[in-house]
Amino acid sequence: MIQVKNLWFKYENDFILKNVNLEIKENNFIAIIGANGSGKTTLAKHFNSLLTPTKGNIIIDGLNTKKNEVNARKKVGFVFQNFEDQIIHSIVEEDIAFGLENLGLSDNQASKIVRETLDKLRINHIAKSNVNMLSMGQKQLVALAGVLAMKPKYIVFDEPTTNLDVRNKSNILNVIKDLNKNEEITAILITNVLDDLMYAENAVVMKNGQIIFDDVKSKLNKKILKKAGLNG
Amino acid sequence: MAKGLSFGQYVHKDSLIHSLDCRLKIIYTVILSILVFAIKDISKILLFTICIFIIIILTKIDFKSYIKNLRAFYSLFVFILLMYLIFSRNNLNQGLIAIWRFWILITISTILTFSTTISSLIIGIDKLSRPLKVFGFKPRNIALLISMAIRFVPVMFIKMERTKEAMLSRLANFRRLKSIKSLIFVLLEKMLKSASNLSDALQSRLYNENVESQKVLKLKLYDYLSLAIVIFLVIVIY
Repeated sequence: MIQVKNLWFKYENDFILKNVNLEIKENNFIAIIGANGSGKTTLAKHFNSLLTPTKGNIIIDGLNTKKNEVNARKKVGFVFQNFEDQIIHSIVEEDIAFGLENLGLSDNQASKIVRETLDKLRINHIAKSNVNMLSMGQKQLVALAGVLAMKPKYIVFDEPTTNLDVRNKSNILNVIKDLNKNEEITAILITNVLDDLMYAENAVVMKNGQIIFDDVKSKLNKKILKKAGLNG
Repeated sequence: MAKGLSFGQYVHKDSLIHSLDCRLKIIYTVILSILVFAIKDISKILLFTICIFIIIILTKIDFKSYIKNLRAFYSLFVFILLMYLIFSRNNLNQGLIAIWRFWILITISTILTFSTTISSLIIGIDKLSRPLKVFGFKPRNIALLISMAIRFVPVMFIKMERTKEAMLSRLANFRRLKSIKSLIFVLLEKMLKSASNLSDALQSRLYNENVESQKVLKLKLYDYLSLAIVIFLVIVIY
């Protein structure tokens, strides 16, 4: 479980997150939605220990991110909004293996996991391709594969549909849904698109660095969305 | 598609050059790069060029890819030629030889990057530079830097093209210094943003400079054969 306890985060002179409390249960598909600047990406970066709380704590399966930065990070994968910048190597299979090398896996073990991951996402045909020659949808799957190969329990998807066309948008959201259902990966979807909510079970709505709604998505109403600055 | 997209990118082929040991390929690149500037005799440069052409054929990579890769260096060639034209018109033939040497140098490094995957390059650099660890040298950092340069140079070309087009659509005039300055600043801003994202991505994927490659490399018969050929070539040419 991911527990956010009295989280405050200050950047320069402003508090971006103000006393955020949240629990994300295992195997859940949760969408964190809010207008631009509401603090959702800042909150998500705390799950991956990319940011350290100014006040409060983030506990990932009992590990406090302040004390167990790397071990907590192993549990939470992160697919960035600018996924192009996330791909470090030019060849698809090499990029997927990058995280596995960091985990200290042998070449054989890494190759096996790379093959499995390529199968899982049905991208075997681009294993030897140059990343720069791929479409945006394919690049995003490569970024996801790099994260998935490290076998995290939770994956944060930061606005995954932003740079994609309609077909690729529904494709990536279905992939996330599949991973959540079949691989039992807890999916944390960061978005500002209301349509994306239909894939999630629970919704968290953020406004000005605070959570104004946290429940099953069926309880979400127009009033709350309007308050969050989203078109309900 | 951006002009620089093929710059230094690995091209998958089943060739003899591709299957050579990555450490040897790095060593050959260094030796041949030094050799190209060490030889003085034109006939020897010509012989060297023929050898390079044979290696190009052995890579099974389309010659057009090599030519395309040179595009980014045309301005350098023109610059060298102009310098000779302005300051040393009598030695123009030396200017042409200098360009010739640069062409060979670029082609040697292109052969390396076209025929060696990034992970092999990293492993090669990692293994070759292990003795330097006693001086606090971190081979994985250097290898990653090279890898990222190869990965992101084409991306920067694309970003530059896009920014340039966006500026042109709003009537920017690149004959004016102001427009060039704006382009450079916008590009720098984008590069810094990308660098910041990349830094987050490296952290997120648990990058550790102290991790050593677990891959075991063994020289094969054709590796030894290639070594003998290169030594022979160095002796004959030098």
